[in-house]
Amino acid sequence: MSALLEVSGVSVSFDGFKAINNLSFSIGQPEMRAVIGPNGAGKTTFMDIITGKTRPDVGQVLWGEENRSLLKMSEAQIARAGIGRKFQRPTVFEDQSVRDNLRVALKKPRGPFAALTDRVTDADRARIDEIAEEIGLAAHLDRQAGILSHGQKQWLEIGMLLAQDPRLLLVDEPAAGMTTEERTHTTELLRRVAETRAVVVVEHDMDFVRKLNCRVTVLHEGSVLSEGTLDHVMADDRVIEVYLGR
Amino acid sequence: MLGITILSEAYGTGAISISFTKVLGMTLCLCLAALAMDLVWGYCGILSLGHFAFFGIGGYMIGMWLMTARTEAVVRANLANRIIPPTEAEISEATALQIFSVVGAEDWPWMWAVSDSLFLSLLLVVLVPGVLALVFGWLAFRSRVTGVYLSILTQAMTLALSLYLFQNDTGLRGNNGLSGLQNIPGSTAGQAKLSIWFFWASAAALGLAYVFAAWLVSGKFGNIVRAIRDDEPRVRFLGYPVEAYKLAVFVITAIMCGIGGALFYPQAGIINPDQIAPIASIYLAVWVAIGGRGRLYGAVIGAAVVSLLSSYFTGGRAPDVNLGFYRIQWIDWWPVLLGLGFVLVTLFAPKGLGGLVDLIVRRKEP
Ligand SMILES: Nc1ncnc2c1ncn2[C@@H]1O[C@H](COP(=O)(O)OP(=O)(O)OP(=O)(O)O)[C@@H](O)[C@H]1O
Ligand SMILES: [Mg+2]
Repeated sequence: MSALLEVSGVSVSFDGFKAINNLSFSIGQPEMRAVIGPNGAGKTTFMDIITGKTRPDVGQVLWGEENRSLLKMSEAQIARAGIGRKFQRPTVFEDQSVRDNLRVALKKPRGPFAALTDRVTDADRARIDEIAEEIGLAAHLDRQAGILSHGQKQWLEIGMLLAQDPRLLLVDEPAAGMTTEERTHTTELLRRVAETRAVVVVEHDMDFVRKLNCRVTVLHEGSVLSEGTLDHVMADDRVIEVYLGR
Repeated sequence: MLGITILSEAYGTGAISISFTKVLGMTLCLCLAALAMDLVWGYCGILSLGHFAFFGIGGYMIGMWLMTARTEAVVRANLANRIIPPTEAEISEATALQIFSVVGAEDWPWMWAVSDSLFLSLLLVVLVPGVLALVFGWLAFRSRVTGVYLSILTQAMTLALSLYLFQNDTGLRGNNGLSGLQNIPGSTAGQAKLSIWFFWASAAALGLAYVFAAWLVSGKFGNIVRAIRDDEPRVRFLGYPVEAYKLAVFVITAIMCGIGGALFYPQAGIINPDQIAPIASIYLAVWVAIGGRGRLYGAVIGAAVVSLLSSYFTGGRAPDVNLGFYRIQWIDWWPVLLGLGFVLVTLFAPKGLGGLVDLIVRRKEP
C-alpha cells in the first residue's frame, strides 16, 4: 500500500519557537489514525501545515498517487484535491441554515459561475437528507446554524466534512462537548468512513481513541514520540514520562 | 411612480416641479449605488470606500458624449450661414476649441476618442468601471488585503482618481468638469419632459438592478458570498476560490455604480472631480449602514431617506431654527445631524432602518 499523504522532515517555528520539529508522518487509504499528545504538542499546527494554512520552514508534504507537493498549492486547491478538515473550534456559517451549510459544503464544482447556475438536484437533496440523518440534525435542517448547541455545531461540521466527500479527513477533537452516546456514534461514524478513506483524528480522550481501535501517533514538542497500537505506545517509557511525569 | 408623472409639469398638473422631479430621479440613481454598496459590503463583507468613484466614472463616460454632441450641434448651427460650408475637420476643431479652451487646450485628448459615438460611450460606462475594478480588485484580493487595509486602499484609489481629474491637462477639463449635461443632443423635448423620462429610466434601472441583486444573493452564490463575509478562511478550506468570488462581486457592483452615475449626471447637469472625493464613498457606506446592510431593501431605504433629507436640509429649504441666542442653519448642521443619526443607528438599531421593516413584518405574522 503506497501512502496517500507523506509528510517528511517538516519544521515550523513561530518567532523562534519550534512548534513542529522535523516531523515525519504518512497515511494510506483506507486507514484510520489517531494523533494524541499533550496540549501544545503541535497537533493542530500539523493539520494547518497539511491544509496549507501554515507554510513550513523546511520539509516536504506529498499527496496522492502522483506525489504532488502540497506546499505549492493554495488552501482552496488543497481542499479541492480531496483533503477535508474539521476544526478544533466548530466553525460553521452561523448566519445560514443547516441545509445551506451542507449545500455549500456538498461536493460540486467550486467556481463562481457554477455557483450562480447551481440547482439543488434530487441527488443533492437526497444526499443532504442522508447526511442530516447521520448527524442527527434532520429535524433542524431549516434552523439557523447559529442557534444550534455547541455539540450540534460540532455535528454539523462533521456533516459538512462528509458532504465534501474528501479522500483524507482531518478531524480535530471531534468529541469535545459531546455526550457519551454521541461519542459512541462519532466513533462508529468515523470507523465507517475510514473503511474507504484516510482519516486522521486528534483526540485527548483515551477512551475515545481506544474505541477507534487504530494505529496511534504520539506527538510531543512538535515531533513524533512514538507510533503503534494504543497499548504499544502507552507502554512506551517516553510516552509515560510525557503523560504522567509532570 | 405614476403619481409623480401625473403631478409633473410635462404630463400632468404641474404640482411637482422639474427640479424636484430631477431630485427624485437622482435619488433613485443613488439608491442603485447603495444597492451595489450593500452587495459588496453587506453581503460580501468588503468595506469598499471607493465605489462612488465608479459612479463618477460612469458619469464622466456618458458626459463626454453628451458634451461633444451638444457642442458640435451648437458649432454647426453657428457655422451654418457661412458662405463656404465648413468641412468636418473644421467642425471637429471648432468643437474641441469650444470644449477645452477653459483649460487652455484646443485639441481632442485621447480619452475623448470615442466621444462622438453614443454606442461606444455607453459601452465605456460599463467597461471602464468594470476594468478598473477588475485590476484593482485582482491586485488587492490576490495579496489578501482585507478589512480596514482594503478600505484605506479603496479610499486611496478614489482620492488618486479625483486628484488626477482635478489637473487641467488630464483631458477631462480639470476642476471645471463636464457641464451642460442636462441637454440631450438631438432631442427637442424640453427639460420638463426629459426630467420625467430620466426619472422613469432611473426607476427602471433601479428595479432591474434590484431584481438582479436579489437573484444573485438568493442562490448558492449568495450563500457562498455571505459565508465569505462571515468566515473567509473557512470558505477557502471548503475548496472555494474566494478571490474569484470577491472579484466577481467587486466588478459587478462597480458596473452597477457606473450605470447609476451615467443616469445621475445628465439629471444633475454637471460633473466635476469633487463628486468622487473620498468623502462621497464614505457617505455611500453611511447610507447603507443607516438603511441596514445585508438586506437589499435596507440599502435602498437608507439611500432614499438620507439623500432626500440631505437635499432638504442643504438645499436651503429647511427653515432656520432661531434659538434666540443662536440661529441653527441647517446647511452647517446637517452633517452633525447625519453623524449623530449614524451613531444612534449603529448603537441602537444595528440592523438599520431596514430592521424596522422586519419588526413590522414579524408583528403582523403571529
Ligand atoms: N500562529 C501561531 N503563532 C505563534 N505560536 C503558535 C501559533 N500556532 C500555534 N502556536 C504554538 O505552537 C504550539 C503548538 O500549538 P498547537 O495548537 O498545534 O497545539 P495542539 O497540539 O493542537 O494543542 P491542543 O491540544 O491544546 O489543541 C503551541 O505552543 C502554540 O502556542
Ligand atoms: Mg489543537
